[in-house]
Amino acid sequence: MLWVDKYRPKTLDNLIVHNDVAQNLKKLVTEQDCPHLLFYGPPGSGKKTLIMAILRQMFGPSADKVKVENKTWKIDAGTRTIDLELTTLSSTHHMELNPGDAGFQDRYIVQEIIKEMAKNRPIDTKGKKGFRVLVLNEVDRLSREAQHSLRRTMEKYSASCRLILCCNSSSKVTEAVRSRCLNIRINAPTEEQITKVLEFIAKKEGLQLPSGFATRIAEKSNRSLRRAILSFETCRVQQYPFTNNQAMPPMDWEEYVSEIASDIMKEQSPKRLFQVRGKLYELLINCIPPEIILKRLLLELLKKLDAELKHEVCHWAAYYEHRMRLGQKAIFHIEAFVAKFMSIYKAFLIATFG
Amino acid sequence: MDANMYIPLPEELEWLEANSHLHQDLEDYEDQEPPEPYPEEEEEQLPEPPSPLSQPQVNGQKRPLSDGPDAPDSGKRSKADLPETGAEEDWLRYSPPQDTDGDLESMVVDEERIVSRYASEIDGDCIPVTGPGGDRVYLKISATGSDGRLKKLDLEGRTKGLILEPISVLMQRVEQDAFTKALQASSELQNDAILPETQVVNEQLWVDKYAPNSFTELLSDEQTNREVLLWLKQWDSCVFGSEIRSTTEEVLSALRRHSSIAQHQKPSGMSFLRKNKGQRFSDGNSRYSNNLDQENGNLKGLQELWNKKSRGTGPPEQKILLLCGPPGLGKTTLAHVAAKHCGYRVVEINASDDRSSSTIEAKILDVVQMNSVMADSKPNCLVIDEIDGALGDGKGAVEVILKMVSAERKADNRKGNVAKVDESGQISSKKGHKTASLSRPVICICNDLYAPALRPLRQVAKVHIFVQPTVSRVVSRLKYICNMEGLKTNSTALTALAEYTECDIRSCLNTLQFLNMKNQTLNVFEISSQVVGQKDMSRSIFDIWKEIFQKRKMKRAKRSDNCCSGMSNGFDFLHPLISNRGDYDLILDGIHENILQLHYHDPIMQKTVKCLNTIGISDLVHQYVMRTQQMSLNVYQPLTAISLHRLIAQVQKPIIEWPKSFMRYRTTFMEKMDILRSWHNKIAPYISRHLSTKSFVEDSVSPLLHILSPPTLRPVALHLLSERERNDLAQLINAMVSYSITYKNTKSDPLPGTQLHEAASDGLSLSFDPPIADFVTFKGFSLGHYALGVAVKQLLMHEIEKKKILQGSMSKTMHSTDGKRRENWAMTMEEKSRAQSGNVSHAAGCAENNIEAAKSKASASMVSLASGSSGSAEASVKLKSSRDMKKPPRGSTFFDRFKKLSSKGSQTTNLIQEPVTLERDSRPLLFKFNEGFTNAVKRPVQIREFLL
Repeated sequence: MLWVDKYRPKTLDNLIVHNDVAQNLKKLVTEQDCPHLLFYGPPGSGKKTLIMAILRQMFGPSADKVKVENKTWKIDAGTRTIDLELTTLSSTHHMELNPGDAGFQDRYIVQEIIKEMAKNRPIDTKGKKGFRVLVLNEVDRLSREAQHSLRRTMEKYSASCRLILCCNSSSKVTEAVRSRCLNIRINAPTEEQITKVLEFIAKKEGLQLPSGFATRIAEKSNRSLRRAILSFETCRVQQYPFTNNQAMPPMDWEEYVSEIASDIMKEQSPKRLFQVRGKLYELLINCIPPEIILKRLLLELLKKLDAELKHEVCHWAAYYEHRMRLGQKAIFHIEAFVAKFMSIYKAFLIATFG
Repeated sequence: MDANMYIPLPEELEWLEANSHLHQDLEDYEDQEPPEPYPEEEEEQLPEPPSPLSQPQVNGQKRPLSDGPDAPDSGKRSKADLPETGAEEDWLRYSPPQDTDGDLESMVVDEERIVSRYASEIDGDCIPVTGPGGDRVYLKISATGSDGRLKKLDLEGRTKGLILEPISVLMQRVEQDAFTKALQASSELQNDAILPETQVVNEQLWVDKYAPNSFTELLSDEQTNREVLLWLKQWDSCVFGSEIRSTTEEVLSALRRHSSIAQHQKPSGMSFLRKNKGQRFSDGNSRYSNNLDQENGNLKGLQELWNKKSRGTGPPEQKILLLCGPPGLGKTTLAHVAAKHCGYRVVEINASDDRSSSTIEAKILDVVQMNSVMADSKPNCLVIDEIDGALGDGKGAVEVILKMVSAERKADNRKGNVAKVDESGQISSKKGHKTASLSRPVICICNDLYAPALRPLRQVAKVHIFVQPTVSRVVSRLKYICNMEGLKTNSTALTALAEYTECDIRSCLNTLQFLNMKNQTLNVFEISSQVVGQKDMSRSIFDIWKEIFQKRKMKRAKRSDNCCSGMSNGFDFLHPLISNRGDYDLILDGIHENILQLHYHDPIMQKTVKCLNTIGISDLVHQYVMRTQQMSLNVYQPLTAISLHRLIAQVQKPIIEWPKSFMRYRTTFMEKMDILRSWHNKIAPYISRHLSTKSFVEDSVSPLLHILSPPTLRPVALHLLSERERNDLAQLINAMVSYSITYKNTKSDPLPGTQLHEAASDGLSLSFDPPIADFVTFKGFSLGHYALGVAVKQLLMHEIEKKKILQGSMSKTMHSTDGKRRENWAMTMEEKSRAQSGNVSHAAGCAENNIEAAKSKASASMVSLASGSSGSAEASVKLKSSRDMKKPPRGSTFFDRFKKLSSKGSQTTNLIQEPVTLERDSRPLLFKFNEGFTNAVKRPVQIREFLL
């Protein structure tokens, strides 16, 4: 088992990172009145961990006994029937699903499956009416239509069902859904917090941690706890008695993006753009989300850029990211950004150096 | 009466020879002219009187009349006799060459009497004769003179009366002829259906009226015509059993043959219809005998020679001809004319027929393998028109044809002599060949060569792409037709018309006829108005890309005098082009794919930015349309393409590639997502729920790969590892099991970049089972990942397997830390046992271990019981049962392992020993439960029995 999983907090009590949030949640849950929750925050900040801990707090250890089901749902949508395959993780008290996996048919999942799930109201051991919890991951991937149908479900079945939504950015969740939930922002952990966690792990593992080493990892981690712990373990595996200047293996795709960035900086021409396109395709093929590619590319480019251009480049990056969201083929828009950058940069070079 | 046949002029003979079958028609037709006027029943037989202008009646009529009785007869005979004699007889029927001279004279006489270029100038029945130069004259059919010649011939015949066959045989044959004739007469009506339309009616479309009837009249490209004809001719050897003839000897013999066939067929055919049978029979017989005996000496040797020659050649290499080209260039016409020219009966299957694969298979088989019994013996030629029909319903036909071609390929290998088989094509088909094979030419016609349904066909067929005929050729033809119809035109107008319709002859003719009906004259300026129906034709997608990327020549722009002509013209031209095609998504993909390869001047990339922005807009529109289903917004899609054209169009020809990369990206992306997803489902839920695919590729893959292949792990035997290293190893295995990653053999070379050369050097290489290493492979990018040696990987693989089995046998609630502790303990135990017990007595040591380990396990389960887990009872039950039956399964696994491992190199001997012993000792109660083998469990066994 990797350290990421091994040292994942199981309860709301012994959290290092979001202890204040956890305490609030604990109070909330113990009072038996739990509203719908919407967790949002950057990846690797601990949303999922918190959700699991809440479930455990609500239902006790039985919440951990989950089974994976891969069910096919037949949905009668007016004139035709749609077969939807969906993987769910469920215990007796809750169910986790990823409605975004259904693509453009996510509306039916929300309308039918979730509704059905919400309708069946469990009765707990004391004969009291209990409630179920539905955990929906990646709500920001849901289409607008699906989110609209979600809001009615949330109201109608609120007596028997609690929804816990989880997403990276609340901006992609409609206002209506947001207002029906208790929004909980999970910040990315600060570097100090990450350092603390790493030190904790080192202590548990009985490792000698040179001072400053944990800080270095934390700095490189992009404030993602998952990444920090993983690279910590990588370092441990590669060379144990840590040295202070130990090399930290980089993320491969980030390396590749920086290679692309230096390609772009070297030459600005349609021909070069064509080569860049091939490399971008390589990244996309490896399932790396285009937004992340664009963001990373921008960061890499900014590193090498003159200060006066930075503002403009950022503006265009945002512009093309917006268009990428509206459009379908990400490659068009990333490429358009690269072309735009090349144009700006070339004009700049000509202006400066003649 | 036979002598009334006109033997043509010498140069005509040459021409006749070239179209070895057409000549028969001509002769046959001439045979029909009766000494007396046509009786009434004759009219029924020939429902359409011959038109003076067109020739097809020649082709059409010969079918019912003459050819029918002959071939079935000869076919049967050749079956009955030895093949050689059968063939001989064929030749023997030819008339003597001497005949030609005499007849020639009489013909000349006839011609002098009434010959005209125009049919209208001849009153009474007339017959068209076409010379080798394409000149056509019309001969009057005269009733006089023929009788006289007939007698003369008959006399001649009787003087030299030596018959090869006895008269009884000949009589029999004649009777048979009569019988087939009767059959044919009964099916006359059906045959009429395939007769081409010949009647000249005022309302008839000009397109049909002036459709080319002979090969020389074809308007399409000469080269293509010739190649099609050549291809068809290549079938001759197998269909007709004869070579392609070109020598002068052959000319003569061909002539002889046609005359003799005509002679001996004629009487029987006609006599059946008429009343005076007896006389005809006798006539025929006598003449026949005459011919036979004359021929006998001359031709025997020659004919044998030919037979030999023809044996050697089979059907052409490619058995299918695929004609493709835009509509209206005469593909169908060419197929028909060429097939007829070569003496085939054309059977057409077009889009109006049912073309599901089941019906079409039966149909094609009928056509290709059988000869029509009743009508004529002409072999069939299948023409499948519009094979690229909409919605892929041509697919059925394509599949059937492909099946037959492939069957033929196989059959060819088996049979040595193709020609032989084909000569008796009917026989083989009747016998019921187990594989249906193609023995007749098949011509497929399509508009779009690159239709997906045709992809497999393209590879096996001989493809001819029709090009537009030259404008001048079309114009001259149009002029001729206009003259014929009395429509006044000038050539400039006709040229403009031809250019406007892109040499679509059909469209030109329809337009002209339309104008004629309205009594208008063709006007140059009218052409672009609504008078001419503009074709609603969609061009191939490559053409569209080409038009977008390439600047049109300025000629077009100059012609119209508007100031902004260039711009508006481009728009006018491109807009319908693109919107007719419709497939905007693909068009945009193609533009995107190729745009950066163009050579346009763009110093600071502003054009590129604009282009990509435009493409982006198109993508946005597309996505919006798809999302909201407002298809009407698609109207704006062509405009984006046109604006791109304005930006980047160049004069030089672009090299256009099919947009592959996006599709490739799409498919590989889906594949990888599938891999991830299925792997995700395999991981235990308490891990997988925290791991989304996004976070996996973003954060986890690279560190995970590093963690899974630690460079600190030395490739040495387990017992040489230090305590800490062993702990590390256990942890690694633990991690791999919990993420359900293992190693697996792969034959292919490891992907460059991920694995080191070390692994690749020996034949097999081990790679991660869910190929997670693939997620960090980028083209042209080398990674700094350390790869473990093969030995280590093997070790890991075994350990993982072991661990999995162990986990399966243990209760799920057992904590992994417990397991690890136990394992460590077992490792130390193992060393101890190795030290004290040799190879021989390791069973005893094993037993000792077993007991101890069992104890430890019990304690472990006690621990888990204390911790409140539910599965401990189950575990202890398992413990018991496993103790009962540990021996047999363990033994088998032991040997299996050993076998597997012993095949490895000598350097791993240490390692071989290691896992085996380790396995034996670390797991005292290891057993494998095979479902279905319940005996072992049920049998009560004393524990003592195992300890021996």
